[in-house]
Amino acid sequence: MMNSSPRPPEPAPGDVAIRAAGLVKHFGELAAVDGITFDLAPGRIYGLLGPNGSGKTTLIRLLTGMTRATGGHAEVLGVRMPDRANLARIGYMTQGDGVYPALTVGENAEFFAAAYGVADRGAVQAALALVELADRRTALAGTLSGGQRRRLSLACALVHRPPVLFLDEPTVGVDPLLRVQFWGHFRSLVDAGATIVVSSHVMDEADRCDELLFIRAGRVIARGSGDGLRAEAGTPDLETAFLHFAGEREVAA
Amino acid sequence: MNPRRLRAIIRRVVAEIRRDRPSLALLFIAPILVTGLLTFILREGSTPAVHVAVANAASGPAAVIGDRLASALSYAGMTVTQVADAGAARAMVRDGGATVAIVLPATMASPSASVTVITEGLDPSGDASQIGAVRGVLTDAVASSLGAVLPSVTHETIYGTPSDDPMAPFAPAIVAFFLYFFVYLLTGVSFLRERTGGTLERLMATPVSRGEVVAGYTLGFGVFATIQVAVLLAWALGTVHVPAVGPLPEFSLGLGIAVAGSPLIAFLVVLLLALGAVSLGIFLSTFARTELQVIQFIPVVLVPQFLLSGVLFSVSSLPSVLQPLVAIMPLGYAVDALRQVFIRGADLSVGALQADIAVLAVVAVLFAVVASWTIRRDVV
Repeated sequence: MMNSSPRPPEPAPGDVAIRAAGLVKHFGELAAVDGITFDLAPGRIYGLLGPNGSGKTTLIRLLTGMTRATGGHAEVLGVRMPDRANLARIGYMTQGDGVYPALTVGENAEFFAAAYGVADRGAVQAALALVELADRRTALAGTLSGGQRRRLSLACALVHRPPVLFLDEPTVGVDPLLRVQFWGHFRSLVDAGATIVVSSHVMDEADRCDELLFIRAGRVIARGSGDGLRAEAGTPDLETAFLHFAGEREVAA
Repeated sequence: MNPRRLRAIIRRVVAEIRRDRPSLALLFIAPILVTGLLTFILREGSTPAVHVAVANAASGPAAVIGDRLASALSYAGMTVTQVADAGAARAMVRDGGATVAIVLPATMASPSASVTVITEGLDPSGDASQIGAVRGVLTDAVASSLGAVLPSVTHETIYGTPSDDPMAPFAPAIVAFFLYFFVYLLTGVSFLRERTGGTLERLMATPVSRGEVVAGYTLGFGVFATIQVAVLLAWALGTVHVPAVGPLPEFSLGLGIAVAGSPLIAFLVVLLLALGAVSLGIFLSTFARTELQVIQFIPVVLVPQFLLSGVLFSVSSLPSVLQPLVAIMPLGYAVDALRQVFIRGADLSVGALQADIAVLAVVAVLFAVVASWTIRRDVV
């Protein structure tokens, strides 16, 4: 595990780590994000759940400032995005691995550490240790297995110990054992004060989140804990709960 | 061969290329553009303005040939200035007052008599067209005046020596072009990988600025461009004799091209060109989705530069319609600068070279700014 603990969380005004205020993103005619508003308190794991194409990735890209909103705005730790300097306090694990195959594991992590402005060499070692790649430090990223590359990608996203982490489908293509480990890492980061937003279309991962946001067609159709949402929908599992809320919305529309 | 499988493969190949719209368009547009441009240059190439300085060393009755030649050249549409002697004629070509000079010998009758034609020497194909323009008139004038055949014609240049080495006039242009070509290709493909491999998105999620990315790429590739320039210049300029060993005959390595000026200035020029090529590669990678498309920009972007920058065709003989394009080709300034250094032996005090270097520096900076615009966080 990490031999140095994550940075303490930075106080956010009004105890809001992440704020979406009427976020809208159009791609031509398509509204990928269609008016999303929420406040997320720090120190919790939030799950963005929804099918492929529901707008989860676009929402994360809006929150991280990687794309400009057509309407509304996003704030992270009290700073309106996009904001280049604020990116030093944000970790972003993209859906693709986004690591350099011709660089070694260590070089990839060192590169992103430098990009985030981290001078502490121990940070790289700590991040690689967290994802259990410290012993593969000299291996070329291109020679890693899919799961190892995913772990390296995670290490690169948290090498600067960000108080806020966005993880876009972090467990896709990851074997069940590793998936359990990933969630263990996420929990330990949150215990140390971080705020994590994880997107997934796998409902059985959802119960590991403190709070869920069901996303469909660019809107949040329900929000609550796993148990809360099941109870509200009166269904035994989240899958049918999702369908319940999706149907309810359609009826309302 | 199984026809079903064969058909499946053919259909897949056709479908794939059909959906790659940019490649498909370039498949037709690029050859039409290149062959069209080439044909236009060859057919419509304008005869450059010819301004002849005529010096006649003959006196007495033979002096009349100078006047005859002058009027024949004027009649052929050239501007003619008669000057006192060979020295004055040379000075006029050197100072740009004349594009070509003809020095007639004291007597045509002597078997050793020779007419001297003098050109500047920086642009071999431009010089050739100048000589071609005056040669016919010269032959006719001499024949009609003296009833004699033209004595031998000697070609001299103000800078460098003609016909010494047929490669010498082309070497500067070719060094510049291939460097530009390979640096563009290397950067274009690398940066495309950065865009398509998801690492650029990743990088943009850090506090790194666009300027830092472009500067980092430019300096990173600059390391290799510097080595490449050094190796290429050493190869072009150097000659290393390898003595015979056993059955192997002796041979020499390197092109051994003479350089009149400082190789260091040549190095500076080519390096500036290479830095511009890095940004060009980053910029064009925005418009490519695949490595194939990066390569397909070559006939559209690089070949016209090759044709319009005086590498093969003299800039002065290009159709006048194309002259505005010629003025905006970065490669043209590098070719001219290298010719100034290689052939003329220009140093940094020469105005023409200063101007070329200034343009190359401005282009490198301008391209870097444009390239950084393409690395917007919201377009990766």
